[in-house]
Amino acid sequence: MRALLYASTVAAMLIFSGCGSSEPTVDDTANANNQAEEINIVDEGGSDNSNMSSTDLDGGAANGASTLEGIEAKMSPIYFGFDQYKLADEDVDTLRQNVEMVKNDTEAANIADKYSLKLEGNCDEWGSDEYNFALGLKRAQAVKTELINDGVPAERITTVSYGASNPVCTEKTQECWSKNRRVDFKLLP
Amino acid sequence: MRIILGVLFTALLLWGSDATIEVKKSVDALPSIAVEDASNDYTDGLSKRFFRVLVSDLNVLSIFNVDRDYVRADFEDEKVASVHKELNYVVRYELIDDGGVMVVKVNIINNNKVMHKLTYRLKNPKQYVFLVHNIAVAINNFMGADPVEWMKEKVIISRTTGANRSEILVTDYTLSYQFSVKRKGLNVFPKWADKSKKYFYYTNLSGGQPELRKYGIYDRSDKLILKSDGMLVCSDVSDDGKKLLLSMAPNGQPDVYEYVIAKKTVTRLTRYSGIDVNAQYMTDKKIAFISNRLGYPNVFSKKIGSKATEQMVYVGRSNSSCTAHKNYIIYKSRESSNAFSKNTFNLHLISTKTDFIRRLTVTGVNEHPLFSRDGGTVLFVKKYKNQSSIGVIRLNQNKNYLFPLKGGAIQSIDW
Repeated sequence: MRALLYASTVAAMLIFSGCGSSEPTVDDTANANNQAEEINIVDEGGSDNSNMSSTDLDGGAANGASTLEGIEAKMSPIYFGFDQYKLADEDVDTLRQNVEMVKNDTEAANIADKYSLKLEGNCDEWGSDEYNFALGLKRAQAVKTELINDGVPAERITTVSYGASNPVCTEKTQECWSKNRRVDFKLLP
Repeated sequence: MRIILGVLFTALLLWGSDATIEVKKSVDALPSIAVEDASNDYTDGLSKRFFRVLVSDLNVLSIFNVDRDYVRADFEDEKVASVHKELNYVVRYELIDDGGVMVVKVNIINNNKVMHKLTYRLKNPKQYVFLVHNIAVAINNFMGADPVEWMKEKVIISRTTGANRSEILVTDYTLSYQFSVKRKGLNVFPKWADKSKKYFYYTNLSGGQPELRKYGIYDRSDKLILKSDGMLVCSDVSDDGKKLLLSMAPNGQPDVYEYVIAKKTVTRLTRYSGIDVNAQYMTDKKIAFISNRLGYPNVFSKKIGSKATEQMVYVGRSNSSCTAHKNYIIYKSRESSNAFSKNTFNLHLISTKTDFIRRLTVTGVNEHPLFSRDGGTVLFVKKYKNQSSIGVIRLNQNKNYLFPLKGGAIQSIDW
């Protein structure tokens, strides 16, 4: 499915680019039996969401996976430096290489024509606060701006930030953290 | 004479200096206390768990030197256990199964004399943790110590369980009680809707656009409040529960907004091309928030409706979250400018009226600080050596306590 989405994303980019204490005292008044305090914290009756399945929410959106899987293998997320959200020159190059790569895949382009492009901003594990989410969003926004500059219609691009909630690597290494500071490409129906 | 005057003057200066640097060796000075279990019901383990939580609570009260050994006793026995006869206080409890309802009888004993009696009834024994917290608060109040009503409060956390997955849990401040209210998808930043804590706001990231939703933990209602492209987080709720401060990015630009619930109106409070997020009500008319308008995240404030912003923190080069209570702000600050050195994030307390500053934590990543309503205690999230914990700081007592989460990591927390 991921392959499908990645490839669709690339195809979409092709299409879009083409379209432009005190002491106590004795409490004599305490009456243990008559002053029982009722404690009721949470109504645990009924059902919560515990019976819901935790299946992957990444719903199937496209077909032609075999074709798209091949494209996915060639796709590269856009990576960022620590606490950075500006695209470096090499990031712009990566973005354009992705677009150029897809331009030759007309089948994927036809599929992607039906979708909007969703840019997902992500961060490393250093912080799960709002600033980190905003950092992920600014990364997605930087990629969006570059795509718009390349002629992709703004109304066909949405952005979202997952902060540190969507890591692709969970090891405690610099290399791993750098893989998580990225923007992914997805397609929305 | 001049020497005497000099000594007196120096003493006066020391007396008038910041009281917060006073070094206390207080453990031995605190009255001693022990807990005795007199239960004949719930002996399958619950009565021992009850004991452990009560001992922990008494410790967090920070007014006792607490004996941690588990000791059995007869509830009606006038004398305390022999191992406790030298101690100042003994708390003796008995758990009674009254047809499925847990009845808890508590005696506070001093010098083999019952000083205070408490009795509780709990319909659902699984919620015994909150009952223990109630007992601890009652003991604290009986001793005339600083209020600790916050102990009884429900806490809500988002716990990450994997990539793009999380679970929202209602819990207590020790994480001893946990009740899952949302398991499916990616739901983050839960925030209580008001003081009654029957509803909470949260951000749903499971679909195409971030959604702000309101969930009822009693009626299980789940209502969409707002949608926004980019990000949408409820950063704070006004004291009366009628207004929300949001971090929102309808045009991909994260700024602070205020949402009036009754009118369903959204007003943009900040306009900056970088990042403005994490707004907190200082008063009804003034907010503190995080902005990178100086090129790095820092704490600023502004009056609602005014364009002027004021820098609140002048130390640290990366202060990326904050919480406010009256004239005090706690902010999270990165200690190292090297991204991959120790890279510790610590919490600092500042006064908005003076130059007062105090570091509250030492190791690990410390974030999501929250003041208690009385301002005397701070709850926060600590991540250290792959362990996520709830931290409690008793500001006036200079005490920190940690309560680790088993499995997953705490994404965010509200109190």
